[in-house]
Amino acid sequence: MSFQYVLAHGSLGAYDELIFLSVSIIFFVMMGVSWVISRNTPQPPSDTPIEPHSHDQDSVPNHFPLE
Amino acid sequence: MCFKVSWAANIRTRTVAKFVTSLIFIIMLFGMGNPASAHGYLLRAIPEDRAILERAPIRLQYWFSEDLEPTFSSLKLRDQTGQVIAEGSVSPDNEALLTLRVPPDLPDGAYIVELRPAFASDGHAVAESRVFFVGSEIGGFNSKAANGRAAPLEILWRTITLTSTMLLFGLFSLYAGVLVPAWGSANYPAGLLPPRMMTRLSWMVGLALLVCFSGNILALIQQTMTFFNVNFINALNENLWSVVRIGSRFGDVWNIRMLFLVIVAGMFAAALYFRDEQPETVRAFWTANAWMMALVIGTWSVVSHAAGSQVLPWLGIAVDWLHGIGVGFWVGGLAALVLVLPIALKPYSDDQRRLALLAALRRFSRFAAASVVIVIASGLYSASNWIYTPSELTETRFGGALLLKLLLVGGLLLLGALHHIALHPARYARFSGLTTSIGQFATTLRLEVLLAVGVLIAVGQLSATPVPAPQITGQEAAAPTAIQQINGLEVTLTLTPGGPGINTYDTLITRDGQPVDDLDVRLRMIHPSEDWRSPLEEAEFVDSGLYVTAGAEIDAPGEWWSQINIIDNEMTYRLAFDWDIDAQAAVIQSRLPSPVTVAALLGVLAAVGGVIYPSIQAFYRKLNLNAANVTLVIGAIVASLIFVIGGFVTLQQTQLGYRADINPPPQIINTVLPDQVSLQRGQNLYESSCNGWQSAPDLDALRQRLPTVRDEDLFAAVRDGWRSLPPCREDLSENERWDIVNYLRTLEPIA
Repeated sequence: MSFQYVLAHGSLGAYDELIFLSVSIIFFVMMGVSWVISRNTPQPPSDTPIEPHSHDQDSVPNHFPLE
Repeated sequence: MCFKVSWAANIRTRTVAKFVTSLIFIIMLFGMGNPASAHGYLLRAIPEDRAILERAPIRLQYWFSEDLEPTFSSLKLRDQTGQVIAEGSVSPDNEALLTLRVPPDLPDGAYIVELRPAFASDGHAVAESRVFFVGSEIGGFNSKAANGRAAPLEILWRTITLTSTMLLFGLFSLYAGVLVPAWGSANYPAGLLPPRMMTRLSWMVGLALLVCFSGNILALIQQTMTFFNVNFINALNENLWSVVRIGSRFGDVWNIRMLFLVIVAGMFAAALYFRDEQPETVRAFWTANAWMMALVIGTWSVVSHAAGSQVLPWLGIAVDWLHGIGVGFWVGGLAALVLVLPIALKPYSDDQRRLALLAALRRFSRFAAASVVIVIASGLYSASNWIYTPSELTETRFGGALLLKLLLVGGLLLLGALHHIALHPARYARFSGLTTSIGQFATTLRLEVLLAVGVLIAVGQLSATPVPAPQITGQEAAAPTAIQQINGLEVTLTLTPGGPGINTYDTLITRDGQPVDDLDVRLRMIHPSEDWRSPLEEAEFVDSGLYVTAGAEIDAPGEWWSQINIIDNEMTYRLAFDWDIDAQAAVIQSRLPSPVTVAALLGVLAAVGGVIYPSIQAFYRKLNLNAANVTLVIGAIVASLIFVIGGFVTLQQTQLGYRADINPPPQIINTVLPDQVSLQRGQNLYESSCNGWQSAPDLDALRQRLPTVRDEDLFAAVRDGWRSLPPCREDLSENERWDIVNYLRTLEPIA
């Protein structure tokens, strides 16, 4: 039984392919999870932007819904 | 200040036309496949470059530091008129060996060997030539080293694919991590951003995908040009690209990358298709694509320089991937942000514009800062794999390319720092003089993007430039050597370097101090603890009593034997040498991390930990740590660990089981060196104690099996008999039986 090493010049033998496949599977799972979470996450509010009351340039809102 | 950029339709069309024309011209200009040097190295050569031989060698052998692509590697032998007289290829038994059978009776003269190894790990190919002389040296013939420059076309496609890949990753991750949280509104269910934004983003993704696909196709064609040494047109016309795509490791990874890109394009198209009917899917598809593009970046890492690293290559690939992710967030995200800002802020002016801009820039700045830390730490680790001394930064092409990149990155960091200060004026009040020059960020952001493009071009150059040659031999240990005498011959055998891996076996034979030429010398290596013996290999006569062969038979430290058969005028002399092979003397094909590498790795871990710690902390606070949840999570972690560890153990057991099936550990080990004393004793014992063997009909059958039968099987035959061969005398000691076994080996038919 011989393995056709694709990655890292076979330095880890069959583990090369196992690692690559495992990482890809993990990312596919994360992709699916993020897809589901994105669909179910509540949407940001649609309120209008806050008018600044002072010239304190550090007090800016974190959310500024675009028109 | 307004960010308005207006484009006249005819100006846009002319600009696109000029760009496309320039691109085609550049590609045609770099039409010939121009192989660059790779990071694989020549470890051993027989004969050596510019060797002067008394007679032509039987075989040419060139061992490299890593496996080659058999289909795309070649070896040619030319005579001094330039005519090809023999061709070789990668050895079927060892994919790191290029070998060629030399035609017999080569006349005296100069011979040129053209080597073209294509390294499997990253697809880079080398073209170089060596020279040897038969008889005497002839002037005017020189070897040619590999071209140390990067291929221009390779720089081009690497820049194109890198830029588009980073932009795509930046677009999707910027959308999910910055734009939606900063600017998202429930008023726009399709993607949560105004249609003008989604349209602009979609156009950018579409163009970037087009460029990315084109760059990957160009990559395949350029790799085909390199592998086959043809020009651009031939690579296309003769369908050679399909051979590379399905017959090389570069092609394997290329296929995987294209599949991932097709998935990205598919999800992007699905988001466009469903934006009216199911608008909530747009955000989902775009977020999922950020993960897919991270995988695409990973496919570049697995064929990067890191894949050929001597230091834990998989770790090198992982760190290179982190580096790519960091660059994607920072540079790709920055480019995406600059491109969408004009359309995003179009309806606003003055304070509203500032608030909208800052809402996004604040979020992006946090991402960028974290990315910068990871990019720096991972970059230091990757550089520590290849740059061992400061002089290599200035004296090698790779070091020069790295310095250029670092210079441009330094400029980028400076601008980024200025932006960060400008975003927090209260915190950095003492730098207010600097921040007033930045103004509304328009100019400096564009400058930052231009610098980023420069960095990406520099990275394209860097990744196409060969890395400096590392130290490849264990120079500390002396090559083991031993001398024996037989029938007036003095035989000196030297193993170089004398460790596990590739070794040269040099046999020097003299009589009364004078070299003895024209002998038939054969050598085999024996590993007694595994009861394994290599085939008898012919040692080629080189010069002045020196006979040379080489191989990778020694695969572990410990006790090894060398058996030499010397045939002189129909007399066969057999010698045996006993070695204690030292693991330290191996030709280095992998090394432990240096202190600098370890420090850089710790830096990477610290950077990653620092970046994800706030998220972990926030996540922890949200956790509902009731008993049921904790039990579930612990159970899931334990099950995962069991699965992973079990998988590794199973794989390892399977590999060991296969090795054990092919060569099971012997039940009884031959501890008697088959030297002249043992052979003489064995012959005497055989003749006196194994009655009936000489006349038994199955003796010939046993002799025919000697090349493949193991010592323990012969021992069993001596002790218990075999077929018509009766057991030898019962009162023989174990060592005496081994002497007989050693003698029986001399009855092996000579091929």
